[in-house]
Amino acid sequence: MLAYIVRRLFLMLVTLFGISVIIFVLLRIVPGNIVDILFDAAGYVDPADKANLQKELGLSDPIVVQYLKWIGGLLHGDLGYSYVSEKPALQEILPRIPITARLAGLALLFSASIGIPLGVLSAVHQGTRLDYALRVVSLSGLSLPSFWLGLLILMASVSMLGWMPIFNPNPRTWAEAFAIYCIPAMAVGFRSAALTMRITRSSMLEILRQDYIRTARAKGASEASVNYHHALKNAVLPVITVIGIEAAFLIGGLIVTETVFNIPGIARFLVEALRWRDYPIVQNLVMFIAVVVVVVNFTVDMLYAAIDPRIRFGD
Amino acid sequence: MAVINFDAELKRAGADATHGWRRLAFLAQRYLLGTVGLVIMVLFVAMALSADLISRYDPLAVDSAHRLAAPDALHWFGTDSFGRDVWSRIIYGARISLAVGIGSTALGASIGVIVGLASGYLSGWVDLLFQRITDILQSLPLLVLALVMTAALGPSLPNVIIAIAIPLIPTVARVIRANTLALRELPFVEAAKSIGMSEMRIAFRHVLPNTLAPLIVLATAQLGSTILTEASLSFLGLGIPEPYPSWGRMLSESAAEYVRVAPWLVIFPGIAISLAVFGTNLFGDALRDILDPRQRG
Amino acid sequence: MRSVRALAVAALCWLSAYDVSLAEGPKSGGVLRMYHRDSPGSASIHEGASYSFNVPLMPIFNNLVIFNQHVAQNSVDTIVPELAESWAWSDDKKKLTFKLRNGVKWHDGKPFTSADVKCTFDLLMGKSQQKFRQNPRKSWYDQVNDVTTNGDYEASFNLKRPQPALLSLLASGYTPIYPCHVSPAEMRTKPIGTGPFKFVEFKANESIKLTKNPDYFKKGLPYLDGIEFTIVTNRSTAILGFVSGKFDMTFPTEVSIPLLKDVKSQAPNAICVVEPSNVATNIIINSSAPPFDNLDIRRALALALDRKAFISILFEGQADVGGTMQPAPAGLWAMPKEMLETIPGYGPDVNANREQARKLMQKAGYGPDKHLQIKVSTRNIPIYRDPAIILIDQLKTIYIDAELDVVDTAQWFPKVARKDYSLGLNLTGNAVDEPDQSFYENYSCESERNYTNYCNREIEKLFDQQSAETDPEKRKKLVWEIDKKLQEDVARPIILHSRTGTCWQPYVKNVTVMSNSSYNGYRYEDVWMDK
Repeated sequence: MLAYIVRRLFLMLVTLFGISVIIFVLLRIVPGNIVDILFDAAGYVDPADKANLQKELGLSDPIVVQYLKWIGGLLHGDLGYSYVSEKPALQEILPRIPITARLAGLALLFSASIGIPLGVLSAVHQGTRLDYALRVVSLSGLSLPSFWLGLLILMASVSMLGWMPIFNPNPRTWAEAFAIYCIPAMAVGFRSAALTMRITRSSMLEILRQDYIRTARAKGASEASVNYHHALKNAVLPVITVIGIEAAFLIGGLIVTETVFNIPGIARFLVEALRWRDYPIVQNLVMFIAVVVVVVNFTVDMLYAAIDPRIRFGD
Repeated sequence: MAVINFDAELKRAGADATHGWRRLAFLAQRYLLGTVGLVIMVLFVAMALSADLISRYDPLAVDSAHRLAAPDALHWFGTDSFGRDVWSRIIYGARISLAVGIGSTALGASIGVIVGLASGYLSGWVDLLFQRITDILQSLPLLVLALVMTAALGPSLPNVIIAIAIPLIPTVARVIRANTLALRELPFVEAAKSIGMSEMRIAFRHVLPNTLAPLIVLATAQLGSTILTEASLSFLGLGIPEPYPSWGRMLSESAAEYVRVAPWLVIFPGIAISLAVFGTNLFGDALRDILDPRQRG
Repeated sequence: MRSVRALAVAALCWLSAYDVSLAEGPKSGGVLRMYHRDSPGSASIHEGASYSFNVPLMPIFNNLVIFNQHVAQNSVDTIVPELAESWAWSDDKKKLTFKLRNGVKWHDGKPFTSADVKCTFDLLMGKSQQKFRQNPRKSWYDQVNDVTTNGDYEASFNLKRPQPALLSLLASGYTPIYPCHVSPAEMRTKPIGTGPFKFVEFKANESIKLTKNPDYFKKGLPYLDGIEFTIVTNRSTAILGFVSGKFDMTFPTEVSIPLLKDVKSQAPNAICVVEPSNVATNIIINSSAPPFDNLDIRRALALALDRKAFISILFEGQADVGGTMQPAPAGLWAMPKEMLETIPGYGPDVNANREQARKLMQKAGYGPDKHLQIKVSTRNIPIYRDPAIILIDQLKTIYIDAELDVVDTAQWFPKVARKDYSLGLNLTGNAVDEPDQSFYENYSCESERNYTNYCNREIEKLFDQQSAETDPEKRKKLVWEIDKKLQEDVARPIILHSRTGTCWQPYVKNVTVMSNSSYNGYRYEDVWMDK
């Protein structure tokens, strides 16, 4: 067990190192850099000014030196300075994390609280009209672009309520806080809810076919007890995995949703920073996201192993 | 394992069908939702192929006299702020969405197959290397990777296809690798080896065909998500550039401005995306049920 | 009509601004909430070249002189003193001296003196030790030899030759006075000014916050407790926010004409003003390479333009046709209509023009069977892309098959500088309705913003001649001549001059939208809210 964990941790580090190289190189392949953009914004180009600025930002160093500087800083907790705002990158990134984390958490909560019960319902009533209807609904959930859903929600809330959720860092009322976070979270979470429901349904069906369920039935356990006590408990495992995988997908949904709802979280910040070629922000944000994804996957695996004794630690 | 035996499969389902058409009719009836999905997909493909015939206007033609016209007999889905016919744009948009969807799925799948086969069959350091690359690609969210890729390559149809295909590779490679590993141990592969067949030949002649079923299931499932990714990229202004009528682009900036004045600009392309993805999802679901009974729901 | 109204508004506001004893006097208090269209690159006006900087940052500063904030049409006659108490030209018109106000304090408490004036312009002229990261308006001061001080409260600009336009340039929102004791780098992140509002914070892509300066040298001002700009890049979200009352005011000039209808139907009480923005949509031509090195093809292009169609599609008819200078009545320097219509391509009969254009194309070897294939390059932003789509459609009429080449903002300038384009669709904003600014910046041989490298030494001589001309009437005639020549040379065909809307809730008072500049009207010291 311990050896397995150590091995996994080592592989995690290798993965993170690979990501840092890939994102670093990819960013430098992107044509144009911050200096081009700044001069574009200033509406003129002066080669001497440009070279100066390039040097000042360390962009004229060889790429290997730039990479080592970044990683060296990272290991000391120094993320460098944002090219655009000239503030420490950490100071730019940190305050945005809770906003996105709250959204993501709410979206996952929403997806679990809708997806799991509906999935169970669907499995228990397999083959009925209810099952069909739920399956169609869940598939449609996987088919709606979340930004479109967001736009429709905004349109509807302005036409019907004459009001819309616009982000406010210090919501005054509970209702406002609810609207600011929950509505966008639902727009993102709709997709995950659909996925969670599908997985819950199929793993429930799998479990319901198993021998021990038959045994439980034969021993006279009530239908409800079988479905909800025995089966669901075991069916939850794959669901946890899916939620883990969804964490990575969520970021994608959050990027467009934060754009539509104008939420200043890290997902939209990433797109903006990419547009500005603000390397220190993009690099560190991508690393942060990767760390989250890798750690979530690791935790899910460990959790899985802890819950399910059938897992052997061999890979 | 994933070796398909249609007849057994049908028999298991209780069908006494040997003739091709009857077999199809049976499948269509049994997998009603999948059939609906297939019909939707076929309709979209037909729409894309016959765009020249069924579009009523040039999708790029600007018409200052009919700007932001509401849907009517002339313009079924209304016109946009340039007076371009939305119906025609959606039809031509089907070409782009399908080109991106099919193109990137095919590209991602073929590279994924090669990587997966090589990784599973050759083992050793090749496997180790591919595994790590797969890990890396899977730790980056699809949209983030696609965003950086399109920014790096520049926005054009082939580049968007590549950018969306790359994140697909690891998903496919994983599945193929797992199957290859399992197949390698099977007696018929051992037999082939013992009669002196080359490794390459075994991989492509015997192992690959037997991983086809999970591959098809996976590819169909990914088709929908590639269409969605393209739409998201275009929505963020990084996908297929104007003036090409990509559905995601139709929903972005300029169109979204007219949300209130001309809601049809937002509603129809959104429906087109959702319906196309819905169709592939329905079909993919049914396909999974048919080809990969282990996962049957 | 507009100028009459402008005058009336100006007169009214002039009164209300300074006479607090009016029956319906302004009320103090409240924070004005406005959305901002994008995140400016920094908080330093001098280093920016877009009014994304001026709108949120002008309230922090003062100029030596400023265009009267309540006269819509900026002109030399509407310039009023700000940090200067008065100004005077020397007899040879080569020295401009400002007497400065006493007792003005920077937001950090340090006193304002003539040294700050010298520092600011030394920085702008590139003469000081410290440097701006970028200095887009350096060329504004090409005629300035140096700035000298005489004691703490007098500063003079010594010119190489007379340049009456200098005063107008100094009155632009682009020309705030910076403090000597704060470095350019600090000004980019935490600007310090003397103005009615103090800088609080700028969170990139999120918000910019300003708070009242209680020690402002104009007693009793500002009325507002602060201004908060929420950055909303998605236009539909922004407008929805305004309509639903989340914002007191839209970002100035950000309501396009088609959107105006929407705003008016959803928020019938909102006050909306449509004014020209002095931003010209134009075509940049690469005349150094085929096919546009051929003057016939350039002329054909000029003749093919149906400006009315552009205006009806993009502005529902509400935009103006003109040359380089902003069209009358809002523009001060535009040539008369009769003169404009003699320029090829400006005549009213589009079909006849295009017939002529096709003849030119045939002369160059193209025709119905042999189309010319080109690319139209532009930035990936709707206000650039949209006109390019129409241009491509119009080029079809003269045997040109054009493809849109959308360029990422980061690559646009390098691409244009490399001459890696044949036609480009471009927007040119003019900070001041002033020939010196537009001619030198966009058409003089050495200018950094002359993207097309159009270079005509004879016309350049005329630029200098008009610039030094002190008789306004004579100068106007010269400007018309130059503008006509520029259009006939097809140096940078002007498609249209845009008009845009600005809206605010009815309780917001004392906002004036300028009619010949989008860069100068945001001091907001006497804006108040009747809430």
